[in-house]
Amino acid sequence: MRSLSKLLASDTPSAPGVRPTALWSLRPKSDREAGDAVTSNFLLHWFPAKVTRASMAWNYSFWLGTASAALFLLTILSGLPLLLLYVPSVERAYQSVKDIEYVITFGRWLRGVHRIAAHLMVVVVALHLVRVFLTGAYKNGIGRNQQRQWNWVIGVAMLLLTLLLSFTGYLLPWDQLAFWAVTVGTNIASSIPAIGPSVRELLIGGRAIEQATLIRFYVLHIVFLPGALGVLFAYHMWRVRKDGGLARADRAEVAPVARVVAPSPTKTYTLLGVARGTSPAVTARSLEAPEASVNAVPDLARRALIVTLATIAVVSLLAVVIRSPLEEPANALVTPNPAKAPWYFLWLQEIVTDTTIHTRWFTISGAFLGGVVLPGLIVACLTVWPWFDRSAAAVTGEWFARSRRTQNLVFLLVLLAIVVLTYIGMELRGPYWQFYWPWQAWPSVPGRI
Amino acid sequence: MSDPQTKDRRDFLLKLGTGAGAAALVIQGAASLRALVPNVSYDAPTTVKLGPPSDFPDGLKFLADQRLFVFRDGSTFHAVSAVCTHLGCTVRAEALPRPETKTVGGQPLRLTHRFSCPCHGSKYEGDGTNVAGPAPKPLAWYRLSVSADDGQLVVDLADEVARDFRLTV
Repeated sequence: MRSLSKLLASDTPSAPGVRPTALWSLRPKSDREAGDAVTSNFLLHWFPAKVTRASMAWNYSFWLGTASAALFLLTILSGLPLLLLYVPSVERAYQSVKDIEYVITFGRWLRGVHRIAAHLMVVVVALHLVRVFLTGAYKNGIGRNQQRQWNWVIGVAMLLLTLLLSFTGYLLPWDQLAFWAVTVGTNIASSIPAIGPSVRELLIGGRAIEQATLIRFYVLHIVFLPGALGVLFAYHMWRVRKDGGLARADRAEVAPVARVVAPSPTKTYTLLGVARGTSPAVTARSLEAPEASVNAVPDLARRALIVTLATIAVVSLLAVVIRSPLEEPANALVTPNPAKAPWYFLWLQEIVTDTTIHTRWFTISGAFLGGVVLPGLIVACLTVWPWFDRSAAAVTGEWFARSRRTQNLVFLLVLLAIVVLTYIGMELRGPYWQFYWPWQAWPSVPGRI
Repeated sequence: MSDPQTKDRRDFLLKLGTGAGAAALVIQGAASLRALVPNVSYDAPTTVKLGPPSDFPDGLKFLADQRLFVFRDGSTFHAVSAVCTHLGCTVRAEALPRPETKTVGGQPLRLTHRFSCPCHGSKYEGDGTNVAGPAPKPLAWYRLSVSADDGQLVVDLADEVARDFRLTV
């Protein structure tokens, strides 16, 4: 391949602005070739030419963002064949999912990959947010015009979209699990004072969960939500580049390097309007400490590929081992006992159970307080937090920075509360949502009245 | 070209064009969204014939299709909704070990059951009063009547009534 590119290079007359090499190599022999690999490859064009070793460290980012993107890719890839097999009608949805599970060759594996990738995506995206918070990576470091706080806001929106994608997919099998999770979920919307019932009617396209609901959730699930997530993903990555890469790179940049003092400045030099100084020497970290950074191709490309392939391997293997549940067909007449929300909403189900406030004069439904107000407040706090974090720019990209100890602690406590509530909802709630310790047996209750 | 009148006119036309374009986009977007608000709801009818009163046993009968409990005490009937007032799951009835009598809406009412919700653990007394869990208000009572043509019991699920309501057949 290299000899071919050389051949082409020698034949092509070079003109200003025209690169003589048409091809590129994943094993560049020089910095120039490494740069060409980034700029002349469509898939890699959004990579930087150079990347600091520090920001590529496994124990800094744990590559959770890359893993999230890989899982998103996997849900799309596994969703495409499912799109041709699933029928979004209340008469046939359940049967088509049952066929995917029991009749179609590799159907069970495809559904497993789609489901496990979706569940893992909720976990990994949430962990990515936790990592960014604990490292203060939404803070602006040393670069000019950095807008990392806005990338954090986009990230929060992407987490919400991930949850919505998972939740809309939950309804599609049209089984008991799906039907009652959506009944509870949409009734939370109708607990909003005044506009609630209209919001619910718009969500489910009527007053009962019916065909109109299924088609709405289906179209949201396959078109609008993935489309919105895709657009935000592209914007997220663009912002990472605009803000100078991972926050860790800023820290590497401010590490002290012996500087040559410029001779008496009498003239200003610029380099393409990017670098500006009073000496003809361009100072850049990559020049002063060449060992601190590497070429994006192959180093960054290789690691991104490893993470993506590892994610695919894990999901694919899990899908072979883990069966996806399919309960009885949806029945509006019988509520399962206990009826549980998807696991990532169980902490909310636990809260809506506990937050109804009765006073002598009025009652506030837990559905509104725990299902709308509290999660709304959490999301609002998360969104605006970068503007309240007053810690120094120097701790941008540092794990558990001392000056951010209090906010990290509060964040971790809220996280712990969510994890504990989720565990209680998953494991310790039995029939009629009664509390049972793990060693207590559930009483048997009649399936129907 | 550069006289202020021309400039004003161009400025005005530019604003007019931009404004008209923006307004057109907004209105068409709103029209598309409006199409998603249902104008007709093909709900099940709210007035339903439930069968002759003699079909109902003394005590309680659960009607799954209407999500309704119909109580009978001799010749007196009343109907209580089975839809939890918290988040809309169907509550389940549980027979009391021994029936109690309670004054409900100024009249004595024999309570034979109590209700629990499988979704979030709300509990209700036999007259629908919420006593535990997150339920914000009591279960609804609906109007019962006797159909004029064939004497069947009729419920009106759109007509909530006070808890002193009794139908004597």
